[in-house]
Amino acid sequence: MTSLPSTDFSDKFLDIAGEPVSFTPHSTYDKDGDCVEFLAKPDPFYGERIDDLVTVYRSQADNEIVGALIKGVKRFCEKVLTLYPGFGIEVQDGKVKVACLFRAKAWATPKADDKMLMITYRKLIEAAEAAEAEAGLCEIGA
Amino acid sequence: MGRDRSRREELAVQAVDPADGTLYELTLSYERIRSMALRGRGAILEGSRLVEYVLQHPAAIFEGLRRDADDPRYGAGWRCYCGTPPCAFSGNGDEINPPPGMVYLVFVNDEEVVYNWRWDRADSDNSRLPQDHGTRFRERLL
Repeated sequence: MTSLPSTDFSDKFLDIAGEPVSFTPHSTYDKDGDCVEFLAKPDPFYGERIDDLVTVYRSQADNEIVGALIKGVKRFCEKVLTLYPGFGIEVQDGKVKVACLFRAKAWATPKADDKMLMITYRKLIEAAEAAEAEAGLCEIGA
Repeated sequence: MGRDRSRREELAVQAVDPADGTLYELTLSYERIRSMALRGRGAILEGSRLVEYVLQHPAAIFEGLRRDADDPRYGAGWRCYCGTPPCAFSGNGDEINPPPGMVYLVFVNDEEVVYNWRWDRADSDNSRLPQDHGTRFRERLL
C-alpha cells in the first residue's frame, strides 16, 4: 500500500467537510448530478448498476444493500408525471418519498421478468420505507 | 441545468484533460463536500485524497453517461474518470489496501462540476476499468 500525500486540495476538503457526525439514514437530491442518493447504513460501499438509472450501493464487508443512487431524477419524475399525473400525489411540499421513486422505477422497468432485479428493487423499497427517506425535489410537481 | 453558480461556494481541483493531457480546473460544491461528514471519517478521507488522485491519474476517461435510451444527446459532456488509487480508508479512517476487484470512479457533469465519487466493481477482463464499461458509456476519451 502506498500512502497518498496531503495536498492543498485535500487540506481544503478536510476543512470544508469538518468533523464526522453520527450516522443517520438520509437521502439528498444533488442538483449538479440530478440524482438522489440514499444511504441506510454507514458501511464503506461500492456501486453496482442495476439499470440505466439506479446504482445500488453494497457494503464492502458483506455485499448487503446499504443505499442507492438514482440518476436523472428530475427527468424521470417529469416523465412519470406526464404518463401518470396522479403520481403528483406522492410529491408534497416539493418532497418525494424515496421508496416511491424506487417503486415507480420498478413499475416502469422493461425487465420485470428479471427476478434478481425485482428482488433488489423490493429490498431498496423496504430500506427506504424503514428509513422514511425523502428527497427534496422542489422543481418537480409542486 | 440552469443553475446560478455565481453564489455557490466551490472548491477547485485539477484534472487531466483527455484532449491534450494537460490539467484543467473542475469544481466541487461545498454542499457536497459537507455531506461527507454524515458518512464518517473514512468517507471524508477518501474524498479528500482519492478524488484528486483519480482525476490526475486516470486509467480511463469516459464520456456520455447513458441515462435514457430515447434521448441520444442526453449525457453528452458528462464524464467519468476511472482509476485505481494505491490506498483506501476504512470507515473509521484507517488507511488500508484498496478493496480487491474495485476501481474508483469520479463523475463530472457538463458544467465541469465533480458531483459524485465511489468504488465500483472492476471489469472481469480488465481490472483497471469498470464493469460494463462497454455499454454504460457512449465513448472512451482516454
